[in-house]
Amino acid sequence: MIWQQFQSLIGSYPLALRGLGMTVALSLISLVVGTLVGFALGILRTGGNQLISRAIGVWVDLIRGTPFLVQIFLIFFILPELGIELDAFTAGIIALSNLAACFICEIVAAGIRAVPTGQVEAALASGLARWQRMRQVVLPQAMRMSLPPLVGQYVLLIKDSSVVSAIGLTDLTRVGWLVVQRVPNGLLVFAIVGIGYFVVCYPLILLARRLESRMGAAHGEVQL
Amino acid sequence: MIEFRGVNKWFGALHVLKDITLNVEPREVVVVCGPSGSGKSTLIRCVNGLESTKDGDLVVDGHRVGDPATDMTELRAEVGFVFQSFNLYPHKTALENVTLAPIHVRKIARSAAEAAGREMLARVGLADKFNAYPSELSGGQQQRVAIARCLCMRPKIMLFDEPTSALDPEMISEVLDVMVSVAEEGMTMMVVTHEMGFARKVAQRVVFMDAGAIVESGTPEEFFSNPKTDRSRAFLSKILRH
Repeated sequence: MIWQQFQSLIGSYPLALRGLGMTVALSLISLVVGTLVGFALGILRTGGNQLISRAIGVWVDLIRGTPFLVQIFLIFFILPELGIELDAFTAGIIALSNLAACFICEIVAAGIRAVPTGQVEAALASGLARWQRMRQVVLPQAMRMSLPPLVGQYVLLIKDSSVVSAIGLTDLTRVGWLVVQRVPNGLLVFAIVGIGYFVVCYPLILLARRLESRMGAAHGEVQL
Repeated sequence: MIEFRGVNKWFGALHVLKDITLNVEPREVVVVCGPSGSGKSTLIRCVNGLESTKDGDLVVDGHRVGDPATDMTELRAEVGFVFQSFNLYPHKTALENVTLAPIHVRKIARSAAEAAGREMLARVGLADKFNAYPSELSGGQQQRVAIARCLCMRPKIMLFDEPTSALDPEMISEVLDVMVSVAEEGMTMMVVTHEMGFARKVAQRVVFMDAGAIVESGTPEEFFSNPKTDRSRAFLSKILRH
């Protein structure tokens, strides 16, 4: 019986690959977009403008304080009511990128705040302009502190991408739901789904661990 | 070169600079001393705008500090500042530390900036440390890199905020030697320090501050041998006792 189920499962490998591809594509695009936006937000968050900083703070708290499932539904079902038509993939990318940007914003901002004021003063005193201070002095040191938690956050976000199956995207999790209707062995099917996520996440976990041990190094920028 | 006219500053309710009037001439070396909390660090931090002033005029090299029309980045490029805690960039080598501002602020070509940087590091006695990171250097070496970092900008004015206070005793003289050589080349300098030997050797004037005000100002000879106020006498008896 188990053997039959296995054969049937092997038969659905094209579907599984499609799901894995969808999960990887969603994660990759959202993490790239989220990282870029998150860095920009983190820099603005710690910049001089109180109004911008507070507005970002409110948005970040709002996103971090509500379930991701609710955010996806809001984007997918409410935006069309306002006349903005979105396909499920775009909605998923927007929701996941936004979530990533908010978490990354806080990580980057914490890293920037942890750079000693003496460093900023030294850069200021030598006549470096605002962006030069950020680019040459503050960000390299902030990155040193931010990189391990950043990579750890990537792992969490990849796993959060499973929630997009709720709006009908055929990602790894949804493939699991589809297959389990044909092969009535939830344990087996979702164990394989779990392995799929693990295969994507494990290299990142290793990377985060490696970066963390490098933090002990006495000096220098973190080099991958 | 540096002109304070009736400058005041408050930290909240605390009146940290009281009606400061002080004029530093070109090529003059002024040592600022006084008990801790007397406002001497705040005073020199105002000169390059690390601290803002409340009222009065502060004119540095023809620029009005605190005036919104003044380009502070331009002014700061002309004013070197040496910190008590060195504040070298830990992710950059000694050579990268001294060439950063020349390359990005002065827009000097990298090769020329590096040649000048090597020359300057050699001058402060660190010819063998070009590629060392700050964490690999002693406190005295770090402070000498910090001074070289300022000198590479060819500044018109150098400010020193207790440059030897964070150093082990045996490293103080190597930093003071560099400062003396800078002074002897005719640099305009304001130096917050308690190194009275340095003051005697190169300062044209000693300014004594207490509780945010300039209490006394005179040549090192006058100040050390014949302090005019009770407060300066009390201060000198404390630091010169040993």
